[in-house]
Amino acid sequence: MTLSPQQVRTQVMNYLEVTECTIIEASPLHVTVKLSPRADRMLTDRPYYWGFVERTGVEPETLSFTFVFDPEKYDSLASGASTQAPNRGTQPGAPSTDPQDSILARYFGVVPTQPWIGPGMIRREDVIYGSKRLLQIWSAARDEGKCLYLFENPGSRQRTTVFSAAYEPWLGVCYKVEMTCDLKREELHFVGISLVTGAIIDDFGTKLTQVELIPRLPENVHIQPLELTVSAGTDRLEAHLTEQLAALDYTWAEEARARLQLELSIIDVYYEELLKEPDEEKRLGIDEQYNRRRKETTWQYEPQVAVSAVTYGLFHLRST
Amino acid sequence: MSQFSRNSLPLQGSKPAPLVPVPLSFDRNWLQDLESRLDKGGPWGDWRLSRLAVQGEETGLITSFDELQCMKHLSGLSPLPHQLDTAHKVLFQMSGRAILADEVGLGKTIEAGLVLKEYLVRGLVSKVLILVPASLVLQWVRELNAKFGISAVAQKKTYSWGSDIVVASMDTAKRDPHKEVLLENEYDMLIIDEAHKLKNKKSTNYLFVQQLRKKYCLLLTATPVQNNLSELFNLITLLKPGQLGNQGDFATNFVVDKRQPKNEIQLRGELSKVMIRNRRGEGPVNFTKRKVRNIPLTLSTEEKVLYDGVTAFVKDQYQESGGNLSSMLSLVTLQREVCSSRDAVFITLVNLIKKLPEDSPKRDRMMGLLQTIRTVKTNTKAEKTLELILEMKEKVIVFTEYRATQEYLLQFFRDHGLMCVSYSGGMNRGKKDWMMDLFRGRAQVMIATEAGGEGINLQFCHHMINFDLPWNPMRVEQRIGRVHRLGQENDVIIYNLSTQGTIEEHILHLLHEKINMFEMVIGGLDVILERFEKTESLEKSLYKIVLESRTDEELRSGLDHIGESISELTEDIQKESEAAT
Repeated sequence: MTLSPQQVRTQVMNYLEVTECTIIEASPLHVTVKLSPRADRMLTDRPYYWGFVERTGVEPETLSFTFVFDPEKYDSLASGASTQAPNRGTQPGAPSTDPQDSILARYFGVVPTQPWIGPGMIRREDVIYGSKRLLQIWSAARDEGKCLYLFENPGSRQRTTVFSAAYEPWLGVCYKVEMTCDLKREELHFVGISLVTGAIIDDFGTKLTQVELIPRLPENVHIQPLELTVSAGTDRLEAHLTEQLAALDYTWAEEARARLQLELSIIDVYYEELLKEPDEEKRLGIDEQYNRRRKETTWQYEPQVAVSAVTYGLFHLRST
Repeated sequence: MSQFSRNSLPLQGSKPAPLVPVPLSFDRNWLQDLESRLDKGGPWGDWRLSRLAVQGEETGLITSFDELQCMKHLSGLSPLPHQLDTAHKVLFQMSGRAILADEVGLGKTIEAGLVLKEYLVRGLVSKVLILVPASLVLQWVRELNAKFGISAVAQKKTYSWGSDIVVASMDTAKRDPHKEVLLENEYDMLIIDEAHKLKNKKSTNYLFVQQLRKKYCLLLTATPVQNNLSELFNLITLLKPGQLGNQGDFATNFVVDKRQPKNEIQLRGELSKVMIRNRRGEGPVNFTKRKVRNIPLTLSTEEKVLYDGVTAFVKDQYQESGGNLSSMLSLVTLQREVCSSRDAVFITLVNLIKKLPEDSPKRDRMMGLLQTIRTVKTNTKAEKTLELILEMKEKVIVFTEYRATQEYLLQFFRDHGLMCVSYSGGMNRGKKDWMMDLFRGRAQVMIATEAGGEGINLQFCHHMINFDLPWNPMRVEQRIGRVHRLGQENDVIIYNLSTQGTIEEHILHLLHEKINMFEMVIGGLDVILERFEKTESLEKSLYKIVLESRTDEELRSGLDHIGESISELTEDIQKESEAAT
C-alpha cells in the first residue's frame, strides 16, 4: 500500500493537531509549523537541548519546519509565484541545501540530520510516502498512543436520565503477526475481549471507530465488575488468535523448510569430506566453521511466526 | 453476581487450541506495560495518536511474501530494468545470498541498495555491515543516504560499529581491535564491494569474512574470475559452501585447465543459482558512444633534438647492458617522458644521475642531456591541449602518467586563466573527495595521474584528453571508464595526443588501430588480455620490443605482431562465446 500526498498530509496534520503544534501556514501542498514542545521532543532528536531546558528551566525554543507533501507541484507553484525560490533537497527528508556541500558531509559522507537551531530558521522537508519523517511521526504516535484507557461518550442525554448506564470493560489489542522465513509477510488483527462476558470480537478496531471515545469516566455511568483479569483476557485472546492463525495456509513454511533442508544437505556434503582431516587442530577449526554455517542457514530460512502488539488498552463501552 | 470467583468464566467449547505448524511466539511486554499503568492509574495514550499509529502500521504492512516493496518507499530513483530484475532474483530466488557480478558501470551499487532497502522495509534486516575499499566508503554512505534514504554511517572510530548500518573499509575491519568487535556481532546483512579481493582463500580478508556471522550476504565484483577458475570457486564457497561441491568435485567436473572450464552449460546453470552477471553488450542498457580523436603533433625542433638524444642514449645503454631488461625499465620511461613534458624527463634524469657513482662515464652524457632540456622552452602538447580546452568550453579531464607533467600542466593552465584541480593516487581520501567536489562544482579541468582504479565517477564530464598513454590497455580502459559509465548522457569524446616520429605514435597505433580498444564497449578486454598475458605481461612485451628494435621498421613489425595475436585472440573468444550461448 502506498499513500497519496493528500493521505500523507492528513496523517501529518492529524499528528500536528493532536500534539498542539502551531500551524503558521497551510495549503493542500504544504504546511509550515512551529512544533509544540511535546512534538519537538519526539521529532527533532535533541535530547541534550531538552535536558538543558529541564535543568535550567528556560523557556524552550522549538523548531519550525515547512513540510511539503507534493514537492513537484509545490515547487512549480513557488517558482511561478516568485516567492523565495526554495532549492529542493535531493532526498525526502533532506535539508534544503545540497548535503554534499558542507565540510561535515565531506568527512562523514552525509551530514547527520541535525536541525538548524535559531529563531526564524525554517527548514524545508519533503514529506512523502517512504520518507523518514513520516515513519518517525508514526512511531512517535505509537510511543504516545499505544496504551489506552478510554470510555464511550454516552452523549449529553445520559446525564439527565435517572438510571446509570452499565459500561462493559473490553481488553482491545491490535496484534501484528509477522510470518518470517527468508522472506516475510505480515497481518494486523485488532481483537477485543469483554472482560465481563468473555465474548471476543474480531474486528474490534472497526467497532471502536463507530463510537466516540473520551479519556474521562462520563457522569451517571457505572462500570461492570470484571469477571476476567486482564492477563486471563490476554490468554484467551492469544488462544483465539492462535486458532485463527492455525487455519491459514502454511505452504510458505513448508517451502522454506524444503529450502532449508536442501541448503543444509549441501553444507553437510561439503563438510563431510573436509571433516576427515586427520590433523586434530585443523579439524576443530573446520568443525567450528561447519557449525557456524549451519546456524547461519537455519537463522536465514527457519520459518516462524511472531506476534507483538501495536496498541492495546481497556475500552469501556456501553453494554448492549 | 460476583460470588463467582474471578477467572471462573468457562472457555467456550473447551477444545484444545489447534496447532500452528511453525514456532509461534507472543510478545507480552505490552501486558506488563498495561498492568503497571493500571496500578499507577496512567498515564494513558491519546486515542487519535493510537489510531494514527495503527494506520501507519496498516500502510507499511507487508502483505505478500514475493512482491518487491521497496520501490514504493523510493522516490527520485528510477532503477533500470536489469537492476530491478537483479534485485528480484536475489530476493526471491537466491534467498539473499548472491554474487553481483555485473560488468563495470552497470550499477551494482544500485542493485545492492535495492536489495538492502527491500530487506529493511520488510524488517528482515536491521544490523548491516558494508565492507568496501577505503576510497569508496564515503561514496557508499552518500548513495545509500541520498538515493535510498538508508541511514548508513561511515566507520570513523571504534564506537561507530554500534550503529545499525555501517560502511567501513575492509582493511580497517579486518584489523584489531575492530576485528574482535565485528566477530562478536551478528549481521543481518553483509555487503562486500570489490569482492574479487577475496579470491585467495588463504588471505586474511577471506578468513575474516568467513568468520563473520551473517544472514544475508552480497558480494559485488566486476571481475569474478581474474586468473583462474578456482578464484570463482573460492568466492562461491565463501557465500555458500558446497554449492559447487568440494574443491575436488569442482576440479573434476568443471575444470580442464586453470583457465578453461568444461561442461560449460552445466557450470553456467550452477553459477546462475548464486551469481548474476549483466553484461554491457546485452539488454536494454544503452551506453552512449565513444568518439575518438587522435591528434598528431609535431615536436618543435628543440623537443625533437631532446627526444633523439634520449632515444640514442637509451639504445646505447641497452646494448651495453647486454640485454638485461629489468634494469632498463627506467630508461624506457625516460623515453616516454620526453613525449610528455620536459619537467618529467628532468626529474627522472636527475634521480638517475644521483644514483650513479661520481666517476661514471655515463654522467657526462646525462649532464649533456640535462643541458639539452634547458634549450626546450615550449611544450607542443600543452599548447595544443590548452587550445582544445578553450575550444570545447566544457568540463574535461586530462590524464597523464607523470606527476611532474601534472604539476607543469596545473601551472601552465592556471597561467592561462583556467580553473583546474589535480587528482593523484597519493592523495588521502578526504583530499580526493575534495578535488572531486571542486571539479564537479567550479573547476573546468581536472588533471589526473591515475584513474583511481575504483570509485571516481565523473559522469558529468564527457571530454577526456589522454595527454600521454599508459602502455597497459586495462589502464586506458579504466581511464575511459571514469567518464563513460552508466549515467553518462552524452557521447564521450576521447582525445589522444601523440607526437609524430616517437614511440608514442607506435603505441597509439597499436592500441587504436590494432586492438581497437577505444571503441570497444563490450568489455571483453580483460578476458583477451588475460589470455595474451599467460606468458608475459603486454607491457613487458612492449618494453622489450622498444628496446630491442634497432630501426623504426623493426619496431613497427614487432608491434604489428602483437596487434595480430591480440586480434586473433579476440576472434577466438568471440567464437567461443557464440558457441556457448
